[in-house]
Amino acid sequence: MRNIIRCVGFLAFLAVSDAAAFETRATRLQAIKTVGVISALGDEMSVTRAGLVPLNTPGQSVSIRSWGLDELVVQQATTLLNGRFRVQQVSYPRDAFAAIRESAVAPVNLARGDPFKAVVRSDVSPKGLDAYVVISRAKSKIGSGRIVQGIGFAEYRTLLASYRVIHALYEVRVIDGKTFDVIEKRVASPLGNIETMRLQGPSQLVDGSFDGPAGIETLRAAIVDLITRSLPLTLGDMHLANTQQSQ
Amino acid sequence: MKYFDEAAPRRASSAQQNLLTASLAALGIVVAAPGPAAAQTAFALPAPPFELPVLPSLSGSWTATVGIGGEYRPDFQGSKNWMLIPIPIFSVRRAGSMGGFRGPRDGASIALIDFGDLRVGPAAKFVAARNSKDRSELSGLGDVKAAFELGGFVEYYAVDWLRLRGDLRQGIGGHQGVVADLSADFIVPLIDRLTISAGPRFTWKSTKAVAPYFGVDAVHSLASGLPVFEAKGGAHSVGFGSQVTYRINPQWEVRAYVEYEKLLGAAADSPLVTRRGSSNQTTVGLGASYSFDFKIR
Repeated sequence: MRNIIRCVGFLAFLAVSDAAAFETRATRLQAIKTVGVISALGDEMSVTRAGLVPLNTPGQSVSIRSWGLDELVVQQATTLLNGRFRVQQVSYPRDAFAAIRESAVAPVNLARGDPFKAVVRSDVSPKGLDAYVVISRAKSKIGSGRIVQGIGFAEYRTLLASYRVIHALYEVRVIDGKTFDVIEKRVASPLGNIETMRLQGPSQLVDGSFDGPAGIETLRAAIVDLITRSLPLTLGDMHLANTQQSQ
Repeated sequence: MKYFDEAAPRRASSAQQNLLTASLAALGIVVAAPGPAAAQTAFALPAPPFELPVLPSLSGSWTATVGIGGEYRPDFQGSKNWMLIPIPIFSVRRAGSMGGFRGPRDGASIALIDFGDLRVGPAAKFVAARNSKDRSELSGLGDVKAAFELGGFVEYYAVDWLRLRGDLRQGIGGHQGVVADLSADFIVPLIDRLTISAGPRFTWKSTKAVAPYFGVDAVHSLASGLPVFEAKGGAHSVGFGSQVTYRINPQWEVRAYVEYEKLLGAAADSPLVTRRGSSNQTTVGLGASYSFDFKIR
């Protein structure tokens, strides 16, 4: 009986403390006036082959630093957030953010907390803004379990056909500028595509080749399109941007 | 960037896909009407009243899958008669996640360690109770309560199309033994929506996992007319399984599978099996499921 009372007491404590956490999150978002935008999608595009592939088919990556995607994301997010917040330009070491990796061991991620908090606290200037909006790579699976992350191009080979997918997988965090707690975190959802093969984030099946400079430009345009279409929806879902305005 | 030069044979393969689709429909494997696109959010739920700070937020887009299947399988371990049982299908996952490959014999499991090609985590399986009153072959033998088997699994993809999996579980309830399952699955996607898999299986069980189901003690021997038999642990079965999964559209998916097991060791030698049952155990399953997206604000 004593154990039951203890359990009920513990659950009541959890409910009260979590209700408080929810209240805090909602009110904290409302209290934000000034934000800085940080984009760390990275300067590399992964090239992945999945499905019926030979043994020892490692993933590859291609430098896309010249595409200026992070600058584009900051610009787009600034435009979207400006309706509600006063967005200030911030400087940050992009490589430090891009180097952050989630552990493959889920309990480690839970135990160590969000790794972006420490980098925002130490490496971003100016300090003192109400919040920092951090846009970073997210991951998904393709095929039987191969992991793809961030910006990339994946080929899924079957016995009778091959399918090519481009992806821009990212997540958005709102980090408190004073306590550096993560107030809100959201993974960008898949777009409205209804293909049988889709990833856990903005992605699209593509046809044709991306050969030569024109092809690369076409690929860049397709990736930019994924970001441009998904960012308003993601920020709208997080109640950071006016969805109707952004659409 | 030479990689991008290879022309996608997607258009060229559309005729093959149509042919496959038509063939499957002609075989009568599936009759299903297309519903709204899974990617179109069916409904939105309000945000939960509270969230645990240490856990990921529930907010976002999710995919729910509901369905029904049927499994035609032996009445009990070692039986020569089959029974049809309904199997509910239900899962909820983040929108867009593919769900990964799943074999018919896999129990409930979740990967706490996930390197993509190597996954490790806890696993559980339910073993239904065996009531002697239900089947004449069991007459005189004792009942065995339902058992939960709790343990862990390791899954390794040497390549995308070859899954090696091992489960090790401890029984609680109906049996208190240890069960180890080993399996290999060759996974061959014919097209993006049609996948065939097949591979060998092996199961080892400790004495405590075998005895309740295949042992016959003196009391049960008198009551059942079967000779006394002491069931010991060891290699329990070898087998082969195959599965076909076909995604008609983003919403509807059907799957069919067959699993064959040849009982070995004490299970095969038990008088329950040699006199009243069979060491050949076959399970056939068929299921259809519908997926839809919903959003938590």
